[in-house]
Amino acid sequence: MKVTLVSRSGREVIKGGLELHDSATVADLQEAIHKRTKKFYPSRQRLTLPVPPGSKERPVVLNCKKSLKDYCDGNQNNITVLFKDLGPQVSYRTLFFFEYLGPLILYPIFYYFPVYQFFGYKVERVIHPVQTYALYYWCFHYFKRIMETFFIHRFSHATSPLSNVFRNCAYYWTFGSYIAYYVNHPLYTPVSDLQMKIGFGFGLVCQLANSYCHIILKNLRSPDGSGGYQIPRGFLFNIVTCANYTTEIYQWLGFNIATQTVAGYVFLVVATSIMTNWALAKHRRLKKLFDGKEGRPKYPRRWVILPPFL
Amino acid sequence: MACFLTGLRRIYLSIYNWTVFIGWFQVLFLALKTLKESGHEHVYNAVEKPLLLSQSAAALEILHGLIGLVRSPVSSTLPQVGSRLYLTWGILWSFPEIRTHILVSSLVISWSITEIIRYSFFGMKEAFGFAPSWHLWLRYSSFLVLYPTGISSEVGLIYLALPYIKGSEKYSVRMPNKWNFSVDYFYLAILALGFYVPGSPHLYRYMLAQRKRALSKSKKE
Repeated sequence: MKVTLVSRSGREVIKGGLELHDSATVADLQEAIHKRTKKFYPSRQRLTLPVPPGSKERPVVLNCKKSLKDYCDGNQNNITVLFKDLGPQVSYRTLFFFEYLGPLILYPIFYYFPVYQFFGYKVERVIHPVQTYALYYWCFHYFKRIMETFFIHRFSHATSPLSNVFRNCAYYWTFGSYIAYYVNHPLYTPVSDLQMKIGFGFGLVCQLANSYCHIILKNLRSPDGSGGYQIPRGFLFNIVTCANYTTEIYQWLGFNIATQTVAGYVFLVVATSIMTNWALAKHRRLKKLFDGKEGRPKYPRRWVILPPFL
Repeated sequence: MACFLTGLRRIYLSIYNWTVFIGWFQVLFLALKTLKESGHEHVYNAVEKPLLLSQSAAALEILHGLIGLVRSPVSSTLPQVGSRLYLTWGILWSFPEIRTHILVSSLVISWSITEIIRYSFFGMKEAFGFAPSWHLWLRYSSFLVLYPTGISSEVGLIYLALPYIKGSEKYSVRMPNKWNFSVDYFYLAILALGFYVPGSPHLYRYMLAQRKRALSKSKKE
C-alpha cells in the first residue's frame, strides 16, 4: 500500500511517499520513515490521520501496534498520514533519573559541607536532631523515586522531549537547593520534638501509601509497554482518582510540619498546583473514556485529588 | 445588552488611556523643563508625583488582561509592568540617594515618550476607532531607540542603588526566626540585574517581530 506523508503545512515530508506491504503495521511505517530520514527515529514521529478542514475534533494518533489497514476507510491501498517532528527525545527513565539525582546530591552538600561560610556565616554550627532526620527523610524520598522509576512505573509514552530535561531539572534542583539551604542553615530554629515526630511519622506513612499506589497503577498496565488507561481500583483509589498525587502532597506536608520553613511550604504549594493540573486532566480523560456507553464501564463518582476540596 | 457592555468598555478604556496619557505628558514636560532650568539633579523631585501615579496606574493593565478586557496576554504585561513598578517604587522611591543621578533623567524621558505614544495610540483607537498611519509607525518604531536607552538607564540605576540597598537592610528579613525564612533584597536586586541579560534581547526581538507584523499588515490594508 502507498503511504503519503505530509507535514501540517501540506508539504510532502518524503517525496513520492512510501511503499509498504498491505499488512504493514504503524510500527513498520515508523521504521520505514526512519530508514529514509536518519534524523527522525520513531519516538520523534507523531503520526496522525488528517482532520477535515474546519473540524474541531482532535486528530487520531496512529497506534504503533495497529496495522495501517485499520486506518484506511474505503480506499484500501492508499493512505495519507500527517507527520509532526516532536524534536529530540529522551526516555522517561533518563529524564526522571536526572531530575531526581539533583536533590539527592545537592541536599546533603548543604548538610555535610561548610557551604554557609560562602554566605558570610561562621563555620561552627550546632546540628539539631530534626536536621539529621530531615536529611534521611529527604534522601529516602528521592531514592524511593529513583527506584520506582526503574522498577515500578509503566509509562504511557516511552519518551519525553529533550527540552523537558532542562525545564524539570531546573525545577527540582532549584527547589532542592532552596529548601536545603534553609533546613540546614546555622541559624535554623527547630520545632518541638512532638511536632517533628508527628510530621515525619505522618510523612513516612504517606510515602509508603504512595508506593503502594504506584504498585496498583503499575498493575493496571501490561508489561509489554502498550500503555493505555484503566479505571484504578482498590486502596485509596476507590475514593480519589489520583491517590498517588494525594499521598505525595500529604507526604510533603509531613516534611514541612517537621521542618517548618517557608521555602518548604512554597515548594508544597507549587507542587500541589502542578499535580492538581495533572489530576484534573487525568480525571477528565478517564470520565470521557469510561462513559458507560457501548458496553464500557462508567467511571464512578470520585474525588479528583484532594478530598474534601477537589 | 452586549452592545451596552461593548460601549461601556470603550468609554472606560478611552478614559483610562487618555488619563494616563496626560500623566506621562506631565512627566515629560516637567522633566524637560527642570533639565533646562535647574539641572538633572532636580528632575526626580519635579516629576515624582505624576510619575508614581502614572506608573502605578499601569497595574490596572494586568487586571484588564486577566478579565479579558484587552487582548494583551498577561504573560507579557506582567513582566513589563512588574519591572517598571520595581524600578519606580523598589529602587527610585526607596533609595533617595540615587535620585540626583543623570540616569534618572534618561530613564523618565525614555519611559514618558514611549508611554505618551502608546497611551495616545490606544486612546485614539478606543475613542475614535482608528489611529493615523504615522501614529502606528511611531508606536512600532520608537522602541528601536527608546528600549536601549530605557533599559540601560534601568540597569544603571539598579546597579548604582546596590551599595545603598546593602547598607540599609531595607525589605530584608533575617534569620533566626520561627519560620526559618529570609529575604535579602540585595541578592534579589542582583537577580533582577541577571534577568536583564536574557530578558532584554528577548524583548527587543519580540518587538521587532511585532513591528514587522504591524507595519506589513497596515501596508496591505
